Parts: sequence; structure tokens; C-alpha cells
Amino acid sequence: MTNKIVISAKNVGVAYRRLSGLFKHEKYWALKDITLDVYKGETLGILGKNGVGKSTLLKILAGIIRPDKGSVINYGVSASLLSLQAGFVQYLTGKENAILGGMMLGLTKKEITQKIEEIYEYSDIGDFFYQPVRSYSSGMRARLGFSVAIYANPDVILLDEVLGVGDSDFRIKSTKTMKQIVRSEKTIIIVSHQPALIKELCDRVVLISNGVIENVVAPSEIL
Amino acid sequence: MQRHSHYFFLCLEKVKADLLSEIRSGYFGILWWVIEPLMYMAVFYIVFEFIFYKGDENRIAFLLIGLVIWKWFASTVSRSSNCIAVNMGLINKVYIPKIIFPVIVLITNTIKFIIIFILLIGILLFSGIEITKVWISIPLLLFIQLFFIFAVGSFFSAFVPFLPDLKLIIDNALMLLFFLSGIFFDINAASPPLKSYLFLNPIAGLIDNYRKVILHGIWPDWSYLQILFYFSIVMILACVFLLKRYDREYPKIL
Repeated sequence: MTNKIVISAKNVGVAYRRLSGLFKHEKYWALKDITLDVYKGETLGILGKNGVGKSTLLKILAGIIRPDKGSVINYGVSASLLSLQAGFVQYLTGKENAILGGMMLGLTKKEITQKIEEIYEYSDIGDFFYQPVRSYSSGMRARLGFSVAIYANPDVILLDEVLGVGDSDFRIKSTKTMKQIVRSEKTIIIVSHQPALIKELCDRVVLISNGVIENVVAPSEIL
Repeated sequence: MQRHSHYFFLCLEKVKADLLSEIRSGYFGILWWVIEPLMYMAVFYIVFEFIFYKGDENRIAFLLIGLVIWKWFASTVSRSSNCIAVNMGLINKVYIPKIIFPVIVLITNTIKFIIIFILLIGILLFSGIEITKVWISIPLLLFIQLFFIFAVGSFFSAFVPFLPDLKLIIDNALMLLFFLSGIFFDINAASPPLKSYLFLNPIAGLIDNYRKVILHGIWPDWSYLQILFYFSIVMILACVFLLKRYDREYPKIL
């Protein structure tokens, strides 16, 4: 962890529109007032119960949505959520989807094509890599999605809940990879409702409840 | 600038992916791009030649031009109207400029249209229609139609996420327009007040101009095309602005 700020949120509030009767909408503030700096190289944990705005905060930091209140400044880093199964095209092969997925995550076609062998090796799905994704099991999809995201190598990795993905073998492998990345100089933000996981991996923990930051603590202070 | 070129290449890659995926989804693959439009044209040909009408030697050519031009417009607009919603899984995981989605639909459908259009020209020549010098205006007609289609497509792509019910209205409005665009009848033969109302629909005007050029060997109505072109440009600029304005709102409402 250095003193260099990579993403900074100031007084961020995010409102969703919620239907409250025919033609009537009301605003629902998922995040009310969040001020948070993310430092280069740190592993930041965000801990809170379901529905307190954790996932919304991740989307704000990733630049997917814009706050309705306050501001977010990204100091020139790429940040993406680590899972990209959503973009898979059913009738394309794993390899073709890996290339498309890598480009979605910001790599040029050349960059992702150069990494394709490593992705093939890492995903460990064998010949299925050259088969249409629609023939994959959900575990295989998860393997491919995770492998592409890891090799796309964004500056800031945003993780929503799950650390290990796929079946038990791959879960061990992907968890190991994540732990390696956590120990490296990469900036990571992990969102979870499991204190144990956050305690093990993070340098700093933000406690959220009801759309506001309750406290920022060291992992050792978590109960 | 670098980002722009990246999104351009991403766009092309997605077009390729969608086309490939369509080819591989059926047993006959790419053959369907030829068979399906032929079947589409055959259906209307059978119904309207043998059941409703008798006579007129150019009747088939008249009908086919209308159908092919219409289909390019209708299928692109229909698919554009829910193109952001169908990608909601993706746009909730990674930031992608939303303007990309209607552009992908436009390019994909235009590539398929080009195949159908070449097929149509082949059928017309085979049925004895002769090429005249005014045919050089066809690329211009296609170009202006491309802009008009994108204007309408991007407009609905920007609005439907906010009002999902609009999708149903659009599909039915397209059906109504299908019967009002002069595909099956000649609007020029209608009584004057009705005729001018019907020509307010740009697709009716475009189809009429294609027929002027291809069937009658006369130049298209330049002033009409000019107005349509400027209208499309203004509308596209407005839609690009809207899609940019709400770029990071769409993931929240889907």
C-alpha cells in the first residue's frame, strides 16, 4: 500500500427509482453519503449485511454507474468487476469468447490474442476451449470467465462476494490465485458479508450499513 | 482517441461474433441468410399475386422492392429497441458506451440486408428489368436510408430502457406501418390529401424513390431525400447526446 490515491469518492449518493403505485416513482437511496479513498496496492474490504449498498458501491468505483450526489474521481486506472460470464455468446467457442471478453475488459485484440494460450492453460477445460460455450457446464463457464478476467489484468480488481469459482479443484486454484494477487502490488476491493474472509485478506476494512460508512477499521478490529 | 478506436474494434468484433453465432445456430448456417429472405418474399408473392391481384407485368418487382427495403428498416428498428436491455448482464459488469449496441445492430442487419439486396437485384434482372443510368443513384438512396434507420433505431434504443412497455407498442406500430408504407399498393394512385399524409412516412417515400429509379428509370426526388438526410443527421446527433447523457444511468434502471 502506497500513499497514491487511485480512486476517490466524495459524498457519494446513489438513488434507484422504485415503483410506488401506478405511474408513481419514489427515490430509494442505496448509498447516502460515502467518502472513500482507494490507495494503490491496497486490499480494501467492504463489509456489510445484504442490501446495504455494497454492490452499488462497487459499480460506482468501477465507473459503471454515476452517482446522483457527490463525485467519483478515477486517477487514470482501469477497474473491472471480476466476472464476465454475462457477456458470453452461446454459439461461439471458448476461445472466441475469451477474445471478445478480453476486449470488453479493455484489452486490444492483439494483447488478448497473445494471452490466449495462457488462458487456455489456466482455465483447464481442455478441448472444451474450442467448443461452443453453450455446451459448457456452469463450472466450466465460471472457469473461463475467471481466467479471462485474471489475464485481462485490470489496475483495480473489484470482487463481489465469491472468491473461489467453479468446482472444488478450480475453487482451490482460483482462491490461490486471488491470494497471490492480494499479496502482490495489485489494488483490490473485496465486498463481502463474511467477516472471516475480509479479516484474512484485507489491509483495511470499511464497514457499511444503510448506505453510509459506519467505520473504517484495521482487519484485526473486526469481531 | 485511443478509447474511441478501441470501442470501434470492439464493435466490429461483436458484429462478427453475432453473425458467426447466427450462422452456427442452425443446421444450414449461412444458407439461411439466402433461404429465409427468399421464403419471406415467396410468402407475399403467393398471397398477393394469386389471391389479391391479377395483372400488371411489374407487379412482382414492385412488391419485392417494397418488401426488401421495408425489412431492412423494420428488423433493425425492432432489434435496436431492446438492444440495451438484452445486454443488461454485460453492462452491469463492465463499462461500455451504450451507443455501441444500436451500432452493432445496425451493422449486423445491414450486412444481412446487402446479401438480400444483391439477391433482389438478381431477381429483377432475371425477370427482365433493364439497368438504366439512373441506377447510379441507388447507393445514395441506400446511404440515406442507412442514416434514417440509425436515427430511428438509436432513438428507440435510448428510450425503451426507461419505458420497457414501449417495445410492445413499437412492434405493433411497425406492423401498422408495414401496411401503410405502400409495399402492396402504389401511394401515387391514392387521392391527393391521403397521398400527402402517407408520404409523411419516410419509409413510404424511400420505397417510392427506389421504385422510381429501378422500375421507371427516373431520378429520385432530390429535395425529399435532402430533407430526410438532414432530419436523420439531427436525430442521430440528438440520440448520441441522449445515450451519452444517460450512459451510466442504464445499468441502474435495468
